[in-house]
Parts: sequence; structure tokens; C-alpha cells
Amino acid sequence: MPIDSAYFWTIVAGMAIGSFSIRGSFIFLSRWIKISDRTRELFSFIPAAILPALVMPLVFFHEGSSQWLMGKERLTVLFIAAVVCYYSRSMITTIFFGLSILFLINQFIP
Amino acid sequence: MVHRRGVWVLEEAPSLPSGPYKTYIVLAYQQFGTPFFVLQENVVFVRGVKAMLPITTGVIPFGLVMGTVTANADLSLLQSFGMNFFVFAGASQLAAVDLMTQQVSILVVVATAFIINLRMMLYSAALSGLVKNQNLMVKALLSYAITDQTYAVLVANQEHLKSDRDKIVFYAGAALCMITAWQIAVVAGFVFGNFAPSSLALDYAVPLSFMALTLPALKNKTYYAVAITSAVLSVVLKELPFNTGLLLSGAIAICLGGFLTRTRNNANR
Repeated sequence: MPIDSAYFWTIVAGMAIGSFSIRGSFIFLSRWIKISDRTRELFSFIPAAILPALVMPLVFFHEGSSQWLMGKERLTVLFIAAVVCYYSRSMITTIFFGLSILFLINQFIP
Repeated sequence: MVHRRGVWVLEEAPSLPSGPYKTYIVLAYQQFGTPFFVLQENVVFVRGVKAMLPITTGVIPFGLVMGTVTANADLSLLQSFGMNFFVFAGASQLAAVDLMTQQVSILVVVATAFIINLRMMLYSAALSGLVKNQNLMVKALLSYAITDQTYAVLVANQEHLKSDRDKIVFYAGAALCMITAWQIAVVAGFVFGNFAPSSLALDYAVPLSFMALTLPALKNKTYYAVAITSAVLSVVLKELPFNTGLLLSGAIAICLGGFLTRTRNNANR
């Protein structure tokens, strides 16, 4: 059944208001909020706290094709790529290396 | 080279940190202020674009999926583009289209999307100090452009950016790159279908880029503890409904960071 146009645009309007108010929340209130050094220190944990939680479910529960790595080739490659990233400190190198290793595993390791 | 108002100025960037950017030669049109100022602005902006470019390897296949899903749901190109433009939050859009094809009630769809996007409130809080004294327009544009990637790429590069103004310009470059890649990818996915070859597994660039953005943020053992806690919890809590596992993992990990630094500060006293 096709999605009704009015239904669709109402939802899009709701989502647009929702996402913009989430994004703008503290930014638009910033004039009236005083951020202490302690709060700023807590904010510095945000990347370390959120990004792994975005990545791990994607990678850990991925059902791969390699019997040998029990279908966990993406998890394996992520750890190898992390070592490469640590030493290279380069986004391009890390992505290129990770995708290449995954490709090779998918092609040649049963 | 002599600088005059209203002339084209060709100048090698003099005061950039050494590294891949030091050989930049930028053609800048001098209209406002000193040419040096214009030059700096442009270079920082370009650095933002360049920092985001490799990350788009993961954004483009995701956009293609989004475009394909909207086409398969019998939405028009205008609807697909409109949703992208006004909402601009991929994960929530995918979930919403899926729910819409099942004719779920409006309130449930909007609430689900809201919860999926709630993590961006943390980014908003973290960026609020940066734009505190900017005008409403800058605040609105910067808010609109908040994504996991734009926030993380700014944090990962912030120690190379001297002033708040540089940070905003860098962020603008990164955001423009992100938005352009995403919009083009979704339209391309809508029109041509998902043409990314599956053997290349380009979608895997998303976890790779997030991992590469996390590492620079791990400044000491506390940050490692926070990251590992969050990674483990997100796997354990995956079954929780509406993405709340992610929020809970993040919140607990931040609290842990706060707790660890608190005990350390007390011990130092």
C-alpha cells in the first residue's frame, strides 16, 4: 500500500521539528547557560562514550560469511584497523586498509 | 606579493602548522579586511572539507541505501529529497520509512525518530560554548549541520584549530562536505538504485571512520575506560527498544568518566 501524502508530510514535519529542536536545544540556550570547567571536562567524554556505542552493535552482531572467523570478520578487521589507525593517525589509511583487508577476507578466506 | 583592496591575491599560506597543509597556495579574492585573514579563513574551511572527505566513503553507501528504500516505498523524488532536507538524520529516516510502510500511527513514528536522534542533544551541549556569542543565523546553521560525523571530526581536529572562529569555519567546511555527499547519494540511490558493489562492502567504512574518530579522543586511561565501557554496554543492551541501549550506554560511560576524574581530583588535593 503506498504511503499517503498527508500522512508522510505530517511525519516529516514532526521529525524536522524534533530533530532541529534536539540539535538546537543547548545551542540556542547557550547565552543563558554558564558552562563550568567541570561540565566541559564531562563533555570531553562524549566522543569516547557515544561513538563506540554506535559502532559496536553494527559490527559485533554482523553475520559475516567467513566460517573460519565464525562470521565475525568485521569485528576482527576493526581491531586490526584500530592498530593501523593508532600508528598512522590517518583517516584515509585506516578506511582504505580496513576495506581492503575485509575484501581480501571475503574473497579468499572461507 | 603586494596586497590591495579588491584585487586577486596569490599567496602562499605563511603561518599554518607544519604538516600536509603547509604547501597550500590559495587564490583569495580580497574584499573584506586583510588578505591574510581571507587566506586563513579559506584554508581552515578547506581543511574542514578535506577532513570530512574520507569519511564520506561511509556516508555515500548509507545514502544510496536511504534513496533505494524511499524509492521502494513508492515515495516521490520530492518526498525523498524533502525528508532528507528537512530532517537530515539518516538513521531516524530509515526507521521512519520502515514504520510508515507499516502504516504505524504518526505519533509513534515521530517519537521513535525523536529517541533515535536524542544523542545529538549531547553534541548540542558540547558545541554550545563555541557559538555562544554568534548570531542566530550561525547558531541555526550550525545546529542544522550537527551529525555524529561533523561533531566527531571537529573534536578529533580541535587541537590544531587555534580560535573558536577557526573551529566554526572548519566545522562549516566539514558540514558542507557531509551535507553535499549525503544529499547527492540519496538522490543517486533513488534514481539509480543501490549501485555500490556489495563485494566492496563500502558500508563498512561507517564503523571504520567512527573508530578512527574515536582514537584521537582517547587522551588517557580514563578515556579508554569510558570507550571500552560504552562498547561493552552497547552490545549487552542492544535488545532494549527504540535505540535506548545506545543512550544508556553513552550516559553510563560519561558518568563513569565523571566518577573516575572526580576521585582522581580528590586524591590530588
